[in-house]
Amino acid sequence: MTTVHDTRHEPRFVNKEKFGEIFALLRQRGYTVIGPTIQQNAIVYAELRSVEELPRGWADEQTPGKYRVERRSCDVWFGFNVGSHSWKAFLFPPHTVLEKAESTDEGWQFTTVPDDPPKYAFLGVRACELAAMRVQDRVFMSGAYVDPIYHARRGSALIIAVNCTQAASTCFCTSMESGPECTSGFDLALTELSDGFVLESATAEGAEITAALTTEEVTIEQLQSAQHARQQAVTQITRKLDTTDIRDTLLTNLTHPHWETVAERCLSCANCTMVCPTCFCSSVTEVSDLRGEHVRRERHWDSCFNVDFSYINGGNVRDSVRSRYRQWLTHKLASWIDQFDTSGCVGCGRCITWCPVGIDLTEEVAAIRGESP
Amino acid sequence: METDQLKFVLSELRFSVWLSDEMLRQIAAVSSLQFFAGGSIVFREGQRGDDLLLVRRGRLALEMNVPRRGAVRIMTVGPGEMAGWSALLGEGRMTASAIAVDDVEVVRAPAEKLQELSETDHEFGYRLMRSVADGLSKRLVATRLQLLDLFAETPPSASRLDRDPIGDV
Amino acid sequence: MNSLASPLSQDRRVADPWQTHPVVIRDIRREIDSVATYDLAFRDAALQRSFRFAPGQFNMLYLPGHGEIAISISDDPRRTDGMTHTVRTVGNVTRKLSGMSVGQTLGLRGPFGTSWPMTPCVGRDVVIVAGGIGLAPLRPVIYALLNDRCQFGRLNLLYGARSPDTVLYHEEFEDWTSRGLIVHTTVDRSRPGWLGNVGVVTTLMERLRTFDPRNAILLCCGPEVMMRFTILTAISRGLSPRQIWISMERNMQCGVGLCGHCQLGPVFVCKEGPVFRYDQVSSFIDIEAL
Repeated sequence: MTTVHDTRHEPRFVNKEKFGEIFALLRQRGYTVIGPTIQQNAIVYAELRSVEELPRGWADEQTPGKYRVERRSCDVWFGFNVGSHSWKAFLFPPHTVLEKAESTDEGWQFTTVPDDPPKYAFLGVRACELAAMRVQDRVFMSGAYVDPIYHARRGSALIIAVNCTQAASTCFCTSMESGPECTSGFDLALTELSDGFVLESATAEGAEITAALTTEEVTIEQLQSAQHARQQAVTQITRKLDTTDIRDTLLTNLTHPHWETVAERCLSCANCTMVCPTCFCSSVTEVSDLRGEHVRRERHWDSCFNVDFSYINGGNVRDSVRSRYRQWLTHKLASWIDQFDTSGCVGCGRCITWCPVGIDLTEEVAAIRGESP
Repeated sequence: METDQLKFVLSELRFSVWLSDEMLRQIAAVSSLQFFAGGSIVFREGQRGDDLLLVRRGRLALEMNVPRRGAVRIMTVGPGEMAGWSALLGEGRMTASAIAVDDVEVVRAPAEKLQELSETDHEFGYRLMRSVADGLSKRLVATRLQLLDLFAETPPSASRLDRDPIGDV
Repeated sequence: MNSLASPLSQDRRVADPWQTHPVVIRDIRREIDSVATYDLAFRDAALQRSFRFAPGQFNMLYLPGHGEIAISISDDPRRTDGMTHTVRTVGNVTRKLSGMSVGQTLGLRGPFGTSWPMTPCVGRDVVIVAGGIGLAPLRPVIYALLNDRCQFGRLNLLYGARSPDTVLYHEEFEDWTSRGLIVHTTVDRSRPGWLGNVGVVTTLMERLRTFDPRNAILLCCGPEVMMRFTILTAISRGLSPRQIWISMERNMQCGVGLCGHCQLGPVFVCKEGPVFRYDQVSSFIDIEAL
């Protein structure tokens, strides 16, 4: 359990041979472990039962519109960055039942369907993903209404973060001040060295887990190696987003001709919103039996790129790709600040990697500013 | 009515916002105030227009005759607004009939006299035309809004109603 | 912004935004063509008695199996034995609703949204400009003003309808007039026998004499184009953007700012609206397809 009561404990070192103990330990504590694994030529987040399922020795190559994985050396366990999945799928599930309506003699009866998820332990959370959770915390929990599903799942989730030791070409967390180093919001944080991990715990539960693992006292050399490894991630970042006055720049350029230019490329496929760890749009659908007497209300992910997302009174407010792309970008980088006091972007680069035509929002912003990319 | 009194009446109308004090006096000198009881016809569609009318009090309904539909009331004109601009512009024939909805008082300004004043004093002419153009532009915007039929039940893109949106409204 | 009414449950923060309550249709009144007013009451009588809303707020009406719609509450806010909603049939859910009868039930969540300003109206002239069905979200504020008539200056209603047959709530105009609201009506298209104004409602705004622009509040609701021109006219008459309030409409699903559908630039229409003070939205409200 993370958040408010961050207390740093002394770092420890856990040897790679011993690290696998953590799985049994977490299971004993009632957690379902979710972490990275290879499926269908990609690194995704799924349930992990043992350390063997981690994508050890795998690396990813990401450029606009391209994602590949490849085997490198067997020694590096977390030698990749982020894939198409994000932790939002477990905190804000893509499909969930909200309530049920039953037709009775007295009319409709409504019952809220309580969410009953497993207790999750997220293994391998990157700094940008911690930042994304903080952003979604504001979206779902800081207003007058709190989303009960997100609230409960977030509260019971254990966060084991991993400090990045490399960066993908699409990463730009440094521009969004969301990484690459994990500074808060986790129970445990790991920095990978060649033979093990420097382990930091930040909460009471993190400390308990550390204590139950077979760990060693950390040496100065190990701490220095860890720092050096983390710094590698920083120096490898090449992509930048200029966030100077970005809110005003975008919101005063809503009729800039560049929106038309990017619209010519954008397919409005919604990939970016699906992979983005902070996007939160959803829709509710009715699922009923043939007689219409038993109805389920289901919530599922939706996207502002879908044509009828803005449908009202016989037409769509945002009928053109241009208006929908503008909505997405200005919301993510500008309006979000008005709404939630933070940017909606954490610099993870997923939208750049997973866009089929390789649209790079850092370039789009530069174009609106009138600079050449 | 005395010229001074008429000048005062003119000065109170929104139509006169562009007109100088001297201009108002000149117009007042050639104009008259006329009263129409509710229901009476002020001018007829097709008739030659001689005067520009400025409504001081009451409302005029503008009607156009449509075969098989009869007289269709298209607009009501109220205090401060003008009617009979065809006397000054266009073909000089009224494009609609004007009927007094309630008891109406109008300032009648003979078009011929206004034209004379405009010819001899171009400043006068510019300002008068400016006022008329202003009134016409407001009239045009209002007509366009009526044309848009904003309160229609079925939106113009009726094909959208065949789809099943997830939500409604 | 505006103050909200007291909530259905005490602790808003952990209240489930999706909790739906069954309501019974007590009465259906056919208004003008395709428009009907539904009088609803919670099946739980205690809940009904404690329900409060502020003029301008809306409820989410749920027809299981069909969907949910955001409908302004068009009642007298003092009323505690039911809630009225004037609904126009425009799509699937509203069509289903129009086929329902007294005694049937549906679901309700609410009230949501911001409300018309009451405190700023005290001691001032109030001009209410409504177009078409836009009069429905304004009716509660008309009631609220008339209920406390002496607190306010001159009250004017400028109402524009499509034709004489589509003047909403016309049977109440006499009562409103007798209680101190000056009612001016106009239609886009007349029919024989109509002796009233013909023309758009903005022209009524241009001609209005019974208000002091320096000490007035304007409340406006109707199609966006109509509101835009009404605002232009109001400003040309001397009102400042801070004196003008409008009610906006967007696709609403959750009603609480969590689903993202109703966004208009930086605001959620269900949360920061539907009632907005014009200066707070003027920088983006006229941008096409925002």
